[in-house]
Amino acid sequence: MKFGSSEKAKVIRGKVSSDTFFRVFSERADRIVCYGLLGLILLFILYPMVCIFIRSLMGEAGITFGHYAEVWGKYREYLFNSVAVGVSTAVLCTLISVCTALFIYTRNGKLKLFLLGVILVSMVAPPFVSSLAYIQLYGRRGWITYRLLGLSLNPYNAVGVVLMQSISFVPMNALFLLGLLARIDTSSLKAARDLGAGPSEVLRDIILPLLKPGIYVTLLLSFVRSLADFGTPVIIGGRFSTIASEIYLKIVGYSDLETASAMNMFLLVPSIAFFFLYRHLMEKTGMLSDSQRASSEPFSLGLSKCRLMGAAVAAAALLFFAVMILQYICIFASGFMKRRGHGYVFTMEYFEELMRYDLSTMTRSVIYALIVALVGTFFAILFAYFTEWRRLKGRSFFDCLVTIPYMIPGTCFGIGYILAFNHEPLKLTGTGIIVIANMIFKQLPTSTKLCTAAISQIPRAQEYAVRDLGGGRFSVLRDVILPGLRPAFFGSFSYNFSTAMTTAGAVIFLINPGKKLAVFKLFDAVYSGEYAVASLISMLIIVIVLVVEGLVYLLSLKGEKRNVS
Amino acid sequence: MKKRFLAGLMAALMAVSFAGCSSDTAETAAPSEETTAAAETAAPAEETGEETEESSEASETPELSGTMKVVATSEDYVTLFDKFTEETGVKVELLSMSSGEVLSKLRAEGGTPSADLWFGGGIDAFMSAKDDGLLEQVQFDAASELADEYKDSEGYWYSKGITIVGFLVNEALTEELGIETPGSWTDLLDESYQGEIVMSNPAVSGTNYAVVNALLQTMGDEEGWNYFESLNNNIAYYGKRGSDPLNKVTSDEFAIGISYIDRGVEATIEGSDIAIVYPADGIPWVPEGVAVFKNSENVEAAKYFVEWLFSNDDNLRMLADIDKKDGLKLIKPSIEGIELGYDTAILMKEDLSLFGSERDAVLEKFEAIMGDKAEA
Repeated sequence: MKFGSSEKAKVIRGKVSSDTFFRVFSERADRIVCYGLLGLILLFILYPMVCIFIRSLMGEAGITFGHYAEVWGKYREYLFNSVAVGVSTAVLCTLISVCTALFIYTRNGKLKLFLLGVILVSMVAPPFVSSLAYIQLYGRRGWITYRLLGLSLNPYNAVGVVLMQSISFVPMNALFLLGLLARIDTSSLKAARDLGAGPSEVLRDIILPLLKPGIYVTLLLSFVRSLADFGTPVIIGGRFSTIASEIYLKIVGYSDLETASAMNMFLLVPSIAFFFLYRHLMEKTGMLSDSQRASSEPFSLGLSKCRLMGAAVAAAALLFFAVMILQYICIFASGFMKRRGHGYVFTMEYFEELMRYDLSTMTRSVIYALIVALVGTFFAILFAYFTEWRRLKGRSFFDCLVTIPYMIPGTCFGIGYILAFNHEPLKLTGTGIIVIANMIFKQLPTSTKLCTAAISQIPRAQEYAVRDLGGGRFSVLRDVILPGLRPAFFGSFSYNFSTAMTTAGAVIFLINPGKKLAVFKLFDAVYSGEYAVASLISMLIIVIVLVVEGLVYLLSLKGEKRNVS
Repeated sequence: MKKRFLAGLMAALMAVSFAGCSSDTAETAAPSEETTAAAETAAPAEETGEETEESSEASETPELSGTMKVVATSEDYVTLFDKFTEETGVKVELLSMSSGEVLSKLRAEGGTPSADLWFGGGIDAFMSAKDDGLLEQVQFDAASELADEYKDSEGYWYSKGITIVGFLVNEALTEELGIETPGSWTDLLDESYQGEIVMSNPAVSGTNYAVVNALLQTMGDEEGWNYFESLNNNIAYYGKRGSDPLNKVTSDEFAIGISYIDRGVEATIEGSDIAIVYPADGIPWVPEGVAVFKNSENVEAAKYFVEWLFSNDDNLRMLADIDKKDGLKLIKPSIEGIELGYDTAILMKEDLSLFGSERDAVLEKFEAIMGDKAEA
């Protein structure tokens, strides 16, 4: 692991001496930070994975590959199911995400803010409650499908899984693509228009090619996330099973950690294969042009004039927004409605019940989520800086490693942590640290992708400029990288915070009776059939997340202004 | 200046992460309101000992302190544990987890359990945990008053209640579909119910595992398996969560659910078109376990809790009230103030010892049956 030779510490042309001292010092700190980060990644990602692997080899009489043989013999079909669902979800979800992002990108003013708001809200998808709303709306007796359209569709199958996964992955992807779109130099779009290109040509020949790397990232993340997602197939898969839902069943139904571990290893095969395909594509494409980040004034593409393409984009986006808005209306309404015979009546009963709930866990959730969001984003920025900007050797390996937590179901990543950290000198079970660390590393793949994409858009020339003016690495980091990462920081922070507030799969095994999180209140309500209360708790979580994100957004705006002035 | 700011920012982030963790431990270490009396009630045995005859035995209980960590099936038990805290000074922390999750967690922890007491969940998981050597033996005098069939002969687990199984029938739907309300297990095989019955996968649901094992015991292996093969044709799908049948029927998705029945379910469906049917050819049932984890941090407090619970009928009545179940009458026949809401004659004859020993074989065979129609 050496750094690129061009970046060997340079002695800088005689400037202020204290600066030189700081620079020498910082070169050393630089190494420490880099190795520290990589060390943490090895400890909190590789080591638990190794523990899972070892467990998969454990038989009654020593080491055996029997579990692998069993999985291949019995569950091969599910592996194919997983891949089929993964590919369909990745394609469908990417299509909707691109349309949604383009649609928002081409709006202005209040409408744009509103649409962005919807995206932010829908990133806070409380587990279970969203799928309940989905069934309530589109199930066999759904409000929309049955009562409105008179259809009785059965959502409990592979199609249901693909649709629901696609919809729930869109907000994150769309936000990511929007970040890339916002950095496109609009003057080149204007130039194209001035030279006579129609809106659809601009879209097809400039915008989409520029989005290509973003599309690859979206495809990868959706595919891998779909493979590892056990919640959706468990809830609406019906008789349809994937490897992830079978792993869940092995753990919850049979407590068979060995077979579950072996299944995880199988799951990693398509994920890692896909990952390397993605890296290959990325290397071939490179990120957005090395253009100077110049004009970003609003540019009206006039999507409506794009004829067929524009209409398709708008239709897909509007459909997505309609689904999202309906879903949240449904969750909200469930909190205030009570069944009476065939109909519903308004009630404040559940709201009053919520007021009686002990919500002290909410404070802990917010604290944990803040730590996860800050530290996770910080790690992601550093990781992106070292791997993407400094071209650290072995970055392919580390990039893959960092993506692994995304590739396996959350429950297993949690089990891996228990296996890894249940004895001295690394006994973390029962502490809050293990929960926080698990969340940080589970979410690191997405944050690092966000930051890497943003960092690769920063023109190298800016670094040379700083260097020529006598600036050291820290100056580059501070004056070039960090300002360029501001949108990614916000994206990563929001993602980490909202996911940490709602995540459950990985954490269920790590949480200690004394250190519960708000999401368990939600679970408890769901399990005891109190959907109304569950809906209200989710609304509360959503409101808290939005308030915190709003504050962070305002802070980051303030920072930007200060920077400009 | 700005460089230092950046370095400072990094340091601050580190600090925040550590402060966050330590403030968290401080929070849990601080006594809660409920336990302010902790120091004063250092001799818990005296207070509760009065109920049992041999108070001398009970007073030998070592002094209890600290926190007892409990994994339970629901948070509703908090009032019962509050009472325990009040009487013993032991603070209780409660987390709800399904029994399968508990077992997986225990196995992963490799002998360092992060909880002390296991409260509730299908008995098959407790039997399996006993076989794995994960449970602590608990012996106390009042145990002799508990019916033999509902406790482990060596004291590794006890029963805190009994779950019974019935059908939930959405009558608005059956009317619409033009089908009759089923009255027995054999009725469920009727062709008209095709794709309208939901049950949970017996691997995840202790209740539905009881259905399978009890019917196999009652019908005999051959006939029993034939039954489930035919039933499989009518099952829409096997839920991967225990509460699926209840949810699917109450949300008008499917007409019939094979589900646990308790007063909580009764309350949920009150005022709706959903009816509870107790099958005429017998009700499967399963005890809910209580056990202490071996090698846990506060094993003494947990052992004392088991004794405390079963030795004092007030505690049991409180439990029955929370659970909204009356099966405790069967577990401790001498108890007064709890009456059975059903005739025990309609409970199926079950040999519980087979629940644990046959589990793997039964589930494997069941998995094969379910698989036959996967993706029909």
